[in-house]
Amino acid sequence: MIRDAVNAGKTSAEAVVSDALRRIDEKDGEIGAFLEVFREDAILAAREVDARVKGGEILPLAGVPIGVKDNMLVTGHIASAGSKMLAEYRATYTSTVVTRLQAAGAIIIGRTNMDEFAFGSSTESSAFQITKNPHDTTKVPGGTSGGSAAAVAAGMIPAALGSDTGGSIRQPASLCGVVGMKPTYGRVSRYGLIADGSSLDQIGPMATTVEDIAIILAVIEGRDAHDATSMSLDEPTVTNLSSPSMKGIRVGVPKEYFIDGMDTEVATRIKEAIETLRQGGAEIVDMSLPLAPYALPTFYIIQPAEASSNLARFDGMRYGTRAAGTLEESYRASRGEGLGPESKRRIMLGTFILSAGYYDAFYKKAVAVRAAMKMEFDAALKKVDVIVGPVSPVVAWGIGEKMDDPVAMYLADVFTVSANILGIPGISVPCGTAHGLPVGLQILANSFDDNKVLQVAAAFEALRQN
Amino acid sequence: MHIDINRIATLAKLQLTDDEKAMLERQLPAILDYVSKLQEVDTSKIDAKAYLTTAVNVFRKDVPTSTIDERNAVIAAFPASNGGALEVPGIFVD
Repeated sequence: MIRDAVNAGKTSAEAVVSDALRRIDEKDGEIGAFLEVFREDAILAAREVDARVKGGEILPLAGVPIGVKDNMLVTGHIASAGSKMLAEYRATYTSTVVTRLQAAGAIIIGRTNMDEFAFGSSTESSAFQITKNPHDTTKVPGGTSGGSAAAVAAGMIPAALGSDTGGSIRQPASLCGVVGMKPTYGRVSRYGLIADGSSLDQIGPMATTVEDIAIILAVIEGRDAHDATSMSLDEPTVTNLSSPSMKGIRVGVPKEYFIDGMDTEVATRIKEAIETLRQGGAEIVDMSLPLAPYALPTFYIIQPAEASSNLARFDGMRYGTRAAGTLEESYRASRGEGLGPESKRRIMLGTFILSAGYYDAFYKKAVAVRAAMKMEFDAALKKVDVIVGPVSPVVAWGIGEKMDDPVAMYLADVFTVSANILGIPGISVPCGTAHGLPVGLQILANSFDDNKVLQVAAAFEALRQN
Repeated sequence: MHIDINRIATLAKLQLTDDEKAMLERQLPAILDYVSKLQEVDTSKIDAKAYLTTAVNVFRKDVPTSTIDERNAVIAAFPASNGGALEVPGIFVD
């Protein structure tokens, strides 16, 4: 492990960072994962970490280079959220997650590409560049944290942060063959995260092993005075995941998580993964979540409603570029020129849903279904410890394939949005390939049972290697 | 479902090109048609306010913590400023 070698003085943070920078130089021309590499700052930060280690500090992430999605603020650096609107915007404060990573000895190596304002499922909605899937560069990496997923999958960096509003950590992790976790809503502070859907957003880690995920989560989690939705934790993340056991663990398999139109080879990989868990000692429980098919329509009402409200602040007055004209003209033109097609679609959709005459039929209905789903899920989780299923119904698709059909693009999130609607933790852990491309197994549990998710994911990872 | 794109764009303070309007006129009804699937769910007995959160209000003392450097950085990021204040186009003009 990098941090152990740095803490023990066997290598230096500077050497580790130089190595990561070299790999980024080698590979990112082809992949396009990074919007910016913080070359000089990373080397300076590495030297500081080396000095701290020499001074006797043992740091949980000593010298570990970490990429940060472009919607998390780092003082003095551009944070554009993948939008032309914020192309030149420099952060005036640092997000809590970055502050905590730095205190733990991690090196922020750069900002990774994303769909504009985290709207999308393929990272193609970025205003700046297309990111390619390292497993096949004609395919998308998934989204919206596609840059983070691709940078880790290509071996440029060992870990990255993503944010997950409807699957934006888990789905690109699945499509790129890495591990990605959305923690429980409230587990990780969102101070300094550019908001998408405020009742749905959560920051989480992406890495190559479940243990790395746990180590990073343990660093970034917990109450933060700057985010009133963040919680003190009764059970901090357990990072020692050696010899995790599946004995006595009840694994629920909802029949609704295997749908018509799902890729049959993906379904086969998921069924094999469930069999692996059974052989490892888990009790497999067939179950039903009748409201699961309503998760996606619920999401595509609540998310645009919240996002259109959050994006009202991008009006050309306080941030970014301002179009000329009277106040009203300037508002409209600044937004019209600064925002891309998917952002405009979500703003229009959200504004319509919240408009007089439609609010009750759409927004209020979605909130009621959300409450019903929560009750159904709470009842189901009295009978099982975790629920498993696919992350994505399909493997990575071709670049450009779904850009003209928003509903087809939205369907990519069909299995991931439940975790955001319910506020529960979920992880994507690699479980093989279909059509030569990675497939991820999703593990969900109840709120603040993040340790159960990690335990089952670590057990699955170990069982697969044996 | 018919959607008055111009009205919604006015509410959203969003300038759209004719091409964008034509595209949204086609796409928004398809999306709304898909999400209307929710009408199948009987929610007559659901008290939505009962769920959603167990969160309580969080209060803190109103003490300034920002430094002058942070203040200056925020002002520097304004598209237009005047004497340390945010400058905007006239609000009370015809």
